[in-house]
Amino acid sequence: MASAPSKLYADDVSLVVVLLDTNPFFWSSSSLSFSQFLSHVLAFLNAILTLNQLNQVVVIATGYNSCDYVFDSSSDLNRSFENGRMPVMCSSLLQKLEEFLITDEQLSKEEPEGKIKPSLFSGSLSMALCYIQRVFRSGALHPHPRILCLQGSLDGPEQYVAIMNAIFSAQRSSVPIDSCYIGSQNSAFLQQASYITGGVHHKPQNLDGLFQYLMTIFATDLHSRSFIHLPKPVGVDFRASCFCHKNTIDMGYICSVCLSIFCKHHKKCSTCGSVFGQAQSEAASASDKKRKTPET
Amino acid sequence: MPQVKIIAKNFMDMVASLPAIKLDLLYRNQFICEAILRSLPPLAKKYVLQMLYIDIPITSKSLQEWLLADGSSKHKVAIDRLIQLRVFEVIDRKKETTYKLNSTFQTNLRKHMISGGILPREPMPQSVTARLPTSEELDAYAHEQWECFLLQLISSGQAEKSTSFSSSMMRIFQRGLLRQRDKEAPRLTESGFQFLLMDTNAQLWYIIREYISNSEEQGVDQADLIAFLLELSFHTPGEAYSLDTLTDDQTTMIKDLADLGLVKLQKGRKESWFIPTKLATNLSVSLTDSSSRKQGFVVVETNFRMYAYSSSKLHCEILRLFARVEYQLPNLIVGAITKESLYNAFENGITAGQIVTFLQQNAHPRVAEKLPSVPENVTDQIRLWETDLNRVEMTPAHFYDEFPSRDVFEAASDFARMHNGLLWEDAKKMRMVVKAEIHMLMREHLRGQNK
Repeated sequence: MASAPSKLYADDVSLVVVLLDTNPFFWSSSSLSFSQFLSHVLAFLNAILTLNQLNQVVVIATGYNSCDYVFDSSSDLNRSFENGRMPVMCSSLLQKLEEFLITDEQLSKEEPEGKIKPSLFSGSLSMALCYIQRVFRSGALHPHPRILCLQGSLDGPEQYVAIMNAIFSAQRSSVPIDSCYIGSQNSAFLQQASYITGGVHHKPQNLDGLFQYLMTIFATDLHSRSFIHLPKPVGVDFRASCFCHKNTIDMGYICSVCLSIFCKHHKKCSTCGSVFGQAQSEAASASDKKRKTPET
Repeated sequence: MPQVKIIAKNFMDMVASLPAIKLDLLYRNQFICEAILRSLPPLAKKYVLQMLYIDIPITSKSLQEWLLADGSSKHKVAIDRLIQLRVFEVIDRKKETTYKLNSTFQTNLRKHMISGGILPREPMPQSVTARLPTSEELDAYAHEQWECFLLQLISSGQAEKSTSFSSSMMRIFQRGLLRQRDKEAPRLTESGFQFLLMDTNAQLWYIIREYISNSEEQGVDQADLIAFLLELSFHTPGEAYSLDTLTDDQTTMIKDLADLGLVKLQKGRKESWFIPTKLATNLSVSLTDSSSRKQGFVVVETNFRMYAYSSSKLHCEILRLFARVEYQLPNLIVGAITKESLYNAFENGITAGQIVTFLQQNAHPRVAEKLPSVPENVTDQIRLWETDLNRVEMTPAHFYDEFPSRDVFEAASDFARMHNGLLWEDAKKMRMVVKAEIHMLMREHLRGQNK
């Protein structure tokens, strides 16, 4: 039938939502300058759009106070050309990004603080998912969506709950979250996000070749992923943050009713209000001792 | 089920068959590089991107290392395609096959990725063109133009206004789609039916292919036409482009394209310009444009009655192929799907599957929401009536008997079964019927047994 071959290639039509880390605290200390980074990313976005006429790219800037859409290939006229040199795509993206950075900075002046702030990753992730939900509901025919996080700044443990919720909702709607960590340490959030949603996590060794990394790994459409070698997670940092002090912990207490995590023992769960038994830890250690004595 | 013969083959097959020098010339244009890239299978696209910034040849072995084990068939398809289009250059070195990107292609694609491309012509300023058609008007125009062309194609007398295609040109398009017996009105062939049931984009490709291969005979360079068409698909629909920017060949071509509804020609006070429609910009989407699917118009009821909300003559003609059209109101065609009308269709080589997909694809939005959009009893009945005609299936076969022993018989029947060729056997009388395809194999096998 005539429509048979058309189904074959529609698989590689993709919608890529890119979360761009614009945290100035990170970029001021990074070995790769923000403008270099942008030139790699812009070429990458261009390549994605070149691959298929129906491909869509959405860019969300993640600041340290806010986040916002800076580019959407479906609404911007990316095919017409201004002043003959730079595609409108780049210029409109750069312009919006600049506006975003200025407003983002203004927001911070209201609460002056000396310490380094993490990027608002949870916010941009939620925005990306909202966008994808809108695409899902718009009609029966839509591209395969995926999210790509280009993150460099450190994890903000206080965003743990929001991020995990976003990750699980991405998993539910089977949207893979790819993550490319360009900072010096490693991000537990990104590792978990990619691991849970079946995306790819990679930390490029050599940032000068970022474009090649992006093309080789993150340009792979979901359809081709089933037969291409992609980096596999080596060890995923599964550490969680406690709900009470937002610290990253290895071991802690978990509410048996709602699975909230705490670093210290509480009388009552702050999330669901269930009352915990008293002296649980002592009873536990006592029973431990009892069990251990006959063995030794 | 008869094989579909005229699936509008990808335009790129045509590009691939161009001689090497012409291909290299084509690759000088960035937009053609982009169109070529888009036409590739997903894996091939991936290879090109990955090798975009690699200057040294890559061995085929390391190329395969990118793949998981079950991707090897896809790998082969991708590599074949790349070599066919001369995007990959094969260099044999020390018994190892290595691949390298075509250098013109590579530099142009690199440029395209980094800085975007510049079209050879810029849209004309608003001040000159005054009022341009809105995108709805343009779509309607393209649609009307295309429909008019199709109607003329299938029944030359019906069209209200004829396109400017000469009758010889029309005959070329009709070649393969219509069959004319002596002194009879031309009738659609099997492939003609299939052509009508294809979506617009696929039909367009078919016509364009015919058009290009024909122009070759008239001394126009095929590569030029292909280049122009691909370039055209990157223009912004709805913008006006001056005709002065075109070469002579292109000007003649653009008039034909206007007849097909690909572009709209307009004249101002001094200058004239063309406005690409969506049909043109969809050209570089290989074959996969599902977004441009037209709104449906057919409602089929469980009692086999069919209501088509359309005033188009073409739709009426298409429906007439497999249904009995009873009456035609200004915006409604009422008909019924009957056994006789379907037999007529089957006789012409149209299949039940095609009719059902046509009805489903063109279901009126009101019924399209429902599942199934066409009542099940109707689709089942259409299929049943088709199978009625194919009660007897013919398979060329060979008959074997007089086996020397039961062992030989059983071994032979196992052998036939193993090759999926056993049609019938009678173990008591030691006789069997085997498909003709494996007759030679069977003979070898039996000879081996006798020794």
